[in-house]
Amino acid sequence: MTTSPTSDQQNSGRRSGITGKQKKRISWALQSFLILIAIIIMLTPIVWIFMAAFKTHVDVYQLKLFFTPTLENFGLVFDAPYYLGDKLLNSTIVAFVTVVFAIPIATMAAYSFSRFELRGETAMLVIILATQFVPAVVIILPFFVMFRDIGLLDTRLGLILVNLAIVMPFAIWMIKGFIDGIPMETEEAAMVDGSSRIQVIRNIVLPMAAPGLLTAGIFCFIIAWNEFLFALILTNKDAVTLPIGLALFKAEEGDLWNLLSAAGIIIMLPMFVLALIIRKYFVQGMTMGAVR
Amino acid sequence: MAEVTLKNLTKRWGDFIGVDNQSLEIHDKEFLVLLGPSGCGKTTTMRMIAGLEDPTDGEIRIGDRVVNDDLPRDRDVAMVFQNYGLYPHMTIFDNIAYPLRVRGTPKNEIEPRVRKAAEQVELTEFLHRKPKALSGGQRQRVALARAIVRTPKVFLMDEPLSNLDAKLRVTMRAELKHLSRALKITTIYVTHDQIEAMTLADRVAVMKNGIIQQLGTPDEIYNDPANLFVAGFIGSPAMNLINGSVQDGHFVTTGGTKLVRVAAPDSPSVVLGVRADDMRVAEEGEGDLDVRIYAFENTGEATLLTVQWGKQRVIAKGDRHLRKDQDDIVSVSLDSDHLYLFDPETGDRIKR
Amino acid sequence: MRDNTLKYLLVLPAVLVVFATAVWPLIESLRLSFTVGRLNRPGSLDQYLGWENFTWAFSQEPAFWNSVWVTTVYTFLTVALTTVLALGLAMLLAPGGRFRSGVQTLLILPFAMSPALIGVSFRFMFNPEFGLFDAFFGVIIPPLADVSWLADPVLAFAVCVMADVWGWIPFLTLVLIGGLASVPQDTIEAAQVDGASGWRVFRDITLPQLAPVLAVVIILKSIFSLKTFDQIFMLTNGGPGTATQTLSHYIYFNGMKYGQIGYAASVAWLMVIPMIFLTYAYAKFVFRKN
Repeated sequence: MTTSPTSDQQNSGRRSGITGKQKKRISWALQSFLILIAIIIMLTPIVWIFMAAFKTHVDVYQLKLFFTPTLENFGLVFDAPYYLGDKLLNSTIVAFVTVVFAIPIATMAAYSFSRFELRGETAMLVIILATQFVPAVVIILPFFVMFRDIGLLDTRLGLILVNLAIVMPFAIWMIKGFIDGIPMETEEAAMVDGSSRIQVIRNIVLPMAAPGLLTAGIFCFIIAWNEFLFALILTNKDAVTLPIGLALFKAEEGDLWNLLSAAGIIIMLPMFVLALIIRKYFVQGMTMGAVR
Repeated sequence: MAEVTLKNLTKRWGDFIGVDNQSLEIHDKEFLVLLGPSGCGKTTTMRMIAGLEDPTDGEIRIGDRVVNDDLPRDRDVAMVFQNYGLYPHMTIFDNIAYPLRVRGTPKNEIEPRVRKAAEQVELTEFLHRKPKALSGGQRQRVALARAIVRTPKVFLMDEPLSNLDAKLRVTMRAELKHLSRALKITTIYVTHDQIEAMTLADRVAVMKNGIIQQLGTPDEIYNDPANLFVAGFIGSPAMNLINGSVQDGHFVTTGGTKLVRVAAPDSPSVVLGVRADDMRVAEEGEGDLDVRIYAFENTGEATLLTVQWGKQRVIAKGDRHLRKDQDDIVSVSLDSDHLYLFDPETGDRIKR
Repeated sequence: MRDNTLKYLLVLPAVLVVFATAVWPLIESLRLSFTVGRLNRPGSLDQYLGWENFTWAFSQEPAFWNSVWVTTVYTFLTVALTTVLALGLAMLLAPGGRFRSGVQTLLILPFAMSPALIGVSFRFMFNPEFGLFDAFFGVIIPPLADVSWLADPVLAFAVCVMADVWGWIPFLTLVLIGGLASVPQDTIEAAQVDGASGWRVFRDITLPQLAPVLAVVIILKSIFSLKTFDQIFMLTNGGPGTATQTLSHYIYFNGMKYGQIGYAASVAWLMVIPMIFLTYAYAKFVFRKN
């Protein structure tokens, strides 16, 4: 995390006398208070879901802060009629295979964009960038029609194919950023030392870019995992993913909040872990190099 | 046996000319330095020889072979890069071994050859480390070892010392010189540092704007500069370049003072070049021209006097015991044996 | 192989994938938008209709204009609120130190959450009987105590905005912290030595140098606000009535629920047009940096 020098440095020695010191203290207290409020607002919904997931059916329908935790919700969501395990498997397979396809393809392209001048390079990069901004609902209409005709509706394969659409631009731009960071000299040294271009890519670029590729892979995994609209439209039974699975917990008598929360934890906890692993690159990935 | 021959070599990017139709012959076992300011085309020239840049026009020959269409790996050269270009994910041993491995050297030969190269640059105790764990000077040695582990036809060195601190640069310079004399392999060395050029080179090619201004031994370019650019670029402090004219075989300042006898035809406008070393400083009235001191600097081993010379400022070197103050008046004289006259229009040297 | 061939071979698979998954559907959507395009009527997908879908949207569909209005207000509010609040939070957190860095790390969490789940959790938080936020607002603003937030058109819209802002502040904050870090510290110190107050330093030194990053942030957030779907679908499903029906939601309903895929495609393309301008603006920033 890049940070500027400490606040002490900024605030000290500006005004002389007692007022300056007092001002500094007040400012410190105020800042801490505001940060604290921000943390509370940020964490409350998350903590609330975590708590609800361990509440009993009775407790969850009351504003209870203290309760006897139970694990039964996690058992229930995997049982009939919800079978969340199937959705978990679908989400995992879809996100994983999407990444497995996307990263190598994106790496090849990113290397070429980073190292060579291509005819129409800027146009290609802009189009790739733009596809990220196209509303998903525009893309999905033709896919729905086509998948209906060729029998790919409600299949993992179909979902993987359309997920590539949202993952590829991120992957290409992100990996290009990492490869841009590898000094050209290192590759040139390898070429003079006797490597062919392919050997340079295999022996030098890939090992050096490996952490970046892993980061991009995790980033894309999170995006594919959280994807909602495509799965909502393309699946209804066999290939339903976790976020769509949330809708299962609407019963006649209303939402089953304890089960929704348990499912919520299963959706978000793995992503929290992954996001923390790559936290340094999250911003870079999302902005596709517009902010460094 | 590998001379390098450049014939009418040109590199253009759009309208920008990097190297402009240059020809150059580098002899076998010669240490040639390409010297010039940044953007003069010296690095581009070297990169074209390495095959990292395609020439727009012209021919590059290494030994008997035209290598224009060869990939870098087929040119049998070794290169040391400015930022060393080490492989950060490999150990030092693997870094040095890489050129051997990738060219399919038998496994049992690799180890002894890497050890020998490492010994020559005094790196043996670091072989298991990664480049990150080494200092700048040690990384520089790794880059050198990687170059000398094979016996290439040509060494190419692109400002290899420029990333080192001043003290280390002097040490490494000597090591480099020792090594190159021992190895006896054709070497092309790019630098913007004229001291490196003077100390290392058999011959120096001074470049500017993609054109070789002068090609000669260090002695020749120092003592017999071909034009204003070379004169101003070589030597520290830079040669003083004083505007004036030649009348009756004498240099006359713009202020009208007839100064010193020069061997040149009369001309209304010339530039006189004189090194700080070749100016004598005396008390007021005891030399050829009285001037006011603009700044007085004591470097310890000598004194430098920047003096106001009409509208120009001129640097003279004084005795190390000389003590003067700003605004004092001193008198300077020029040594007529070490003066250079240039045509201000063309920049060319005016010789008798 | 020569680099000249290789470089195009390397980009080929990616170009094909992007073409198949993004460019083709865009073009196909455009084609569909000029057809009758009923999902349950075979052949209607090729039945040319001219501009009728578009004129229908403009002249016969109050629901379309409603969703345009909802999307516009929603975009404006979420962009403004998120940017201002994120800038404030970034200023608070930028100085670093262990505590602040820890908070920065926590900021990742909401952003790694599925937007659908954010929608669910806000529905939970504003449940009239046992929602924590509902109870909280009931205490600090007594008139709201007995209101059912998600049943009231204005309040439901407010909840949608809150959920969006909550989900996006962390990301924008992280971007802006990065932006603040790139403002040279010595320019700030110079202004302080010159006698500028904290506010003056912010206004005269920090803000102008932060402007490009702010612009990027605003464009990016606008794009994502315009596209909003997941969260609203899970939170209000466009309701009550159509009070929170965004364009994406409107398109989804017409295309998937009513099977009017031709009409949906034409509205979808109307939505693509502002995106083109925003993307163009965004691309300018990206390429200026490179």
